[in-house]
Amino acid sequence: MTLWRLELLRLTRSRRLLALMVVYVFFGATGPFLARYLGEIVEQFGTDVVVQFPTPVPADGIAQYTSNANQIGLLVAVIVAAGGLVIDAIPEMSVFLRTRVDAVSDLLTPRLVMSFSAIAAAFLAGLAFAWYETAILLGGLSIDGMLAGAAFALVYLAFVVALVAAIGSRSGSVLTTVAVSIVVLLVLPVLGIAEALGRWLPSHLLGALDTMLRTSESATEYLPATVVTVALTAVLIWLATRWAATQEL
Amino acid sequence: MIRVQGLSKHYGSHIALDDVTLNVPVGAVYGLVGPNGAGKTTLLSILAGLRAPTSGEATIDAPHTRTAVLPDAPRFDRWLTAREVVELAAHLAGQTDEAAVVRVIQGAGLAHAADRAVGGFSRGMLQRLGIAAALVGDPVVVLLDEPAAALDPAGRREVLDLVRDMRGAATVVFSSHILSDVQAVSDTVGILHEGRLRYEGRVAELLDQAAETAYIVAVRGDATTVASGLEPEPWVEGATVEADGVLRVAVTSLSDAEQHLVPALAALRATVVSVEPEAVTLEQAFLEMTS
Repeated sequence: MTLWRLELLRLTRSRRLLALMVVYVFFGATGPFLARYLGEIVEQFGTDVVVQFPTPVPADGIAQYTSNANQIGLLVAVIVAAGGLVIDAIPEMSVFLRTRVDAVSDLLTPRLVMSFSAIAAAFLAGLAFAWYETAILLGGLSIDGMLAGAAFALVYLAFVVALVAAIGSRSGSVLTTVAVSIVVLLVLPVLGIAEALGRWLPSHLLGALDTMLRTSESATEYLPATVVTVALTAVLIWLATRWAATQEL
Repeated sequence: MIRVQGLSKHYGSHIALDDVTLNVPVGAVYGLVGPNGAGKTTLLSILAGLRAPTSGEATIDAPHTRTAVLPDAPRFDRWLTAREVVELAAHLAGQTDEAAVVRVIQGAGLAHAADRAVGGFSRGMLQRLGIAAALVGDPVVVLLDEPAAALDPAGRREVLDLVRDMRGAATVVFSSHILSDVQAVSDTVGILHEGRLRYEGRVAELLDQAAETAYIVAVRGDATTVASGLEPEPWVEGATVEADGVLRVAVTSLSDAEQHLVPALAALRATVVSVEPEAVTLEQAFLEMTS
């Protein structure tokens, strides 16, 4: 039994991986369906108000998925990540592990990698569902746009995991970690309203998938945000390790 | 093996440990006693590297893989089985002997529950699992914080037996506020009170120092009359009724008592059930030292 296997068991036996998969795959399955049939669904309500929906295009199927994935999906991802990354949440459990490793990074590394892997796998599984269903219901999508957009989304998810780890190491409480992480993730897009600042923020990557499917915009548009996000992720992981190492039980 | 020199720990204005120096003999079971809040857990946490001292030094001259720490209420991920917990502890301790896992699980009396998830374990089972996880790496230093505090009498006896069995194989520091537990398993004791070390030495020496010259006499009938009859004797410092039919006779010396007590009881026509020197417990010694 290694610390890597421990984290794998944490994801599977505590059903955290299942929760992630269910949420993302649900949105992946329903997103394109809603994009295709939203007009008909609204008509079924038979109200007097006439709502004109534009004819859906393939990018709308993915947009429906990413919209939900970036809200409810991200909330679930933060909760799951916090459950694994706040290593001192239960001090008696923490004593068992902390007193048996050379450095706290030995504990944190498998948790970071496994948490990110689970969230990324769930996101990609949902995206794969959305892509398949979009292709059937709305038409084909640009492969290059999908791959590049997915890559940017994964960079953002890595940042989210690192953010949760840093806040978790500092606070030692799952609830506080979830709350503060959500606030930070909500504040970033608000700051991004300022255009000059927005293209440098991690939250800019959230829109990459949609934009790259709708326009011919080059991936270099997202280079500044990618560089900043990768750098912030590295700093947050360093902070998480440092704060966890100095945390007293 | 274990070095604690001038150790202090402050939490703001509260002084949890104040200039504590311990001399823990190698291979001994060292009982660290004191009431709740005396600083026992803080001291063990600093030794385990889980807290930083404000000043002083606390070091263990052994690799962390050979040092085992058991908190007062061990907890493990509830979806792990007992065997997996011990396997993880064995892996982290660098234990390559796979039979060691089975051996310590059996030694802790958990063979029947080895493949059950620990989420359903009782407090006593978790405590025994914690000890199994601590022992699987053949540690040379074991730090145990109140290992038997919340167990029923049978569970407590089992845990104390496990601790006693470690003597000689490992240096054990064992904290408890249950003084009879410490007296039962420790050969050396350190008494902490309000963050300061009030006494350190062998348990037997402490009891000898604390011993008063007194006899406990059990009689049938009215003990008050017997006490009143003994009071005027010149070798009696005081005679008090402790319980129904039981009196405590403080004497000037044990040799005086040996010479005069039984004849005096006979002269008073007391029906004597038993006469024995008062045994001092660690609890009495502790109370005397800290009151």
